[in-house]
Amino acid sequence: MNIYIKGAGVISAAGNNSDPSFLAEAPGYDTHRLNAKEPDYTAYIQPMQLRRMSKAVRMGIGASKIAGQQAGIEKPDALSIGTAMGCLQDTEVFLSKMIDQQEQMLTPTAFIQSTHNTVGGQIALLAGCYGHNLTYVHRGHSFEHAIINAQLYLHAHPHHQMLVGGIDELVDSSVKVLTATGVYREGNSTEGILHTAGKGSIAGEGAGFFIASAQPAPGALRIKGLQIFTTKDAALVSEKMNGFLAQQQLQQDDIDLLISGWNGDSRTKPVYDVLHQQFSASVIAGFKHLSGEYATASSFGLAMAAHIAGTGMVPGFCRLGSAPARPIRNIILFNNYMHYFSMWHICT
Amino acid sequence: MRHKAYIVNTGVITAIGNNTQQCKEGLASGKNAIGKPRFLQTHWQNEIPVAEVPLSNDELAALAGVSSGWPRTALLSAVAVKEAWQPYRESAQELRCGFFSANTVGGMDLTENVYKDFKETGTLSDIPSMVSHECGAITELVAGHFGIHDFVTTISTACSSSANSIMMAAQMIEAGMLDVAVAGGADCLSRFTLNGFNTLMILDRQQCQPFDNNRRGLNLGEGAGYVLMMSEKAAGQCNATPICSVSGYANANDAYHQTASSPDGIGNKLAMQQAMAQAGITPAEVSYINLHGTGTANNDSSEGKAIESVFAGQVPPASSTKSFTGHTLGASGGVEAVFSTIAIADGILFPNMRWQTQMEDISWKPVTEMRTGLDIRHVLSNSFGFGGNCSSLVFSKFNA
Repeated sequence: MNIYIKGAGVISAAGNNSDPSFLAEAPGYDTHRLNAKEPDYTAYIQPMQLRRMSKAVRMGIGASKIAGQQAGIEKPDALSIGTAMGCLQDTEVFLSKMIDQQEQMLTPTAFIQSTHNTVGGQIALLAGCYGHNLTYVHRGHSFEHAIINAQLYLHAHPHHQMLVGGIDELVDSSVKVLTATGVYREGNSTEGILHTAGKGSIAGEGAGFFIASAQPAPGALRIKGLQIFTTKDAALVSEKMNGFLAQQQLQQDDIDLLISGWNGDSRTKPVYDVLHQQFSASVIAGFKHLSGEYATASSFGLAMAAHIAGTGMVPGFCRLGSAPARPIRNIILFNNYMHYFSMWHICT
Repeated sequence: MRHKAYIVNTGVITAIGNNTQQCKEGLASGKNAIGKPRFLQTHWQNEIPVAEVPLSNDELAALAGVSSGWPRTALLSAVAVKEAWQPYRESAQELRCGFFSANTVGGMDLTENVYKDFKETGTLSDIPSMVSHECGAITELVAGHFGIHDFVTTISTACSSSANSIMMAAQMIEAGMLDVAVAGGADCLSRFTLNGFNTLMILDRQQCQPFDNNRRGLNLGEGAGYVLMMSEKAAGQCNATPICSVSGYANANDAYHQTASSPDGIGNKLAMQQAMAQAGITPAEVSYINLHGTGTANNDSSEGKAIESVFAGQVPPASSTKSFTGHTLGASGGVEAVFSTIAIADGILFPNMRWQTQMEDISWKPVTEMRTGLDIRHVLSNSFGFGGNCSSLVFSKFNA
């Protein structure tokens, strides 16, 4: 795989990367739910249009605009988007009304905006983008599949620019259901996520969008490898990682930075304990205490890789290990959402 | 080197039949399956006809050999996947196999039944009905049951969803990333989608009449359709006979409106032109077009005009099989890929049912009678949807 990231845009609970102070200060919270801190969108979206947009659509368009600005590209040739849950807010609005009003006197707006491809459709509409446009909705691999699709597309269209993004929004019901099923837990704090373990993680949401190309460019991040798998067997993970490093022709010592998807969930603690031990000579940075946990949070991880590559600094409040700082060339991003795992090899 | 992706088997379930053979017979006999639903519980029961699969969840589960507690979309998916995949499951064991499944409703049929209770009382006993709400959960259930795990994905681009899953499967086989793929999609009827389409005022209160001047809208349907695809090498190893190849595919965007098609079908044109270009065929070489043909005033007009322009007046035989199956949404591209494969394998064309009056804004008309004994070499299949998503596939007869 050879995908060059020419621009990144992220909107998250830790703010957005068009803000110069993005990731400059340690987060502090005591909450069970990390809502995205949304920017003032009026720089990107007409107020009339903005009023009709749900959070998922706003965040997606906002993040895509930031990525486009970074890359100096106003209109991508194609789109590839991952969202596990789609537009939950509008889905719930329509569902509630349908039930409360016993299927009568309903209006179409929420239904129209409830489809999973709404974000992709709206971005294409606003940018006048007639190209390829796909939306992946495969749980914890939705964003990864959007990247694999980018690989296929850019191979066939080597001179195109593709907008690739991951997005998910939280609503009360999803937090409730995912808390009941053990994905999320109640009573969290910053410290709690990074340094202690309990059943479940902290609820999060956000959008991470990227301008991807098959052509290198100065300062562009390069995704050199991506491997995905599902497993409920923690013992398998280390074997998978070793296989991935071998496939990428990497020695352990080559890895300068591990961006770790550790999310404070005691069930995956054995996985991350082994992983963090294996990478103890590398700088290790966590991000789930910033983004919160959601199915497409790896898009935040990738945006963080871009941010670190750009600034050359790993924020102290992300550090998990004690290895000394070193110049960053090879990054491994390791993430899981439930039993969905991904391993990325990213080069600066 | 690129490896061609061949279709070697199919699996389908719609209102007109539980498998490929039954659907073929239904298409040939003009089976009329659009009417009052038996299983979908809705206020609109007597007013809005649908193309419902005439089996209960228990019956579907028994047919597929899975739990009847699954969402209906997963049950429909399992029935069709079983037909396509089971005969080759063992021989494909050593090969890299992928499952590309699309849907738009996920587990909404179960969620909408418990949502009120969940919202009002906050009871956790409703949670089991909601855990498979996500579209991806449907795919996960089915892939797990049939033991396909090398690559498993879910695509949701409204009505073009399963055409896109076939496209991606073809790409991954061509790139040598997979040897075998089951690709298509499924969707069940739900109150959510029925009421949603009803608010858009595009549901026909009678049986739909695609491409008729007096068309009134679409009928929603449900079902699942999958093609089993293999590289030539894998087909050899599995002793499978290629029927046709997925020779062209394209995905374009209309970038006009969230739910309506542009008047001239810009996205439709782009998708058809690019798919034919990729297949290396000229419009004159297309033997049959399986139309998107929903039956709404706007959709058929845009598609009709786009076809007229792309085919420069020489429009090949074309028909909308949604006049039999209703619009099965996320399943439709898969269902129609199966019908396209039947057309090639058997040299037959299916009629566009209930067509009576020539559309005023186009100069061509769909095929209205069954035609047999033909040499169908290239089929163009259209799937256009909300969000401006437009996809076209080209299926080409093996060794054509």
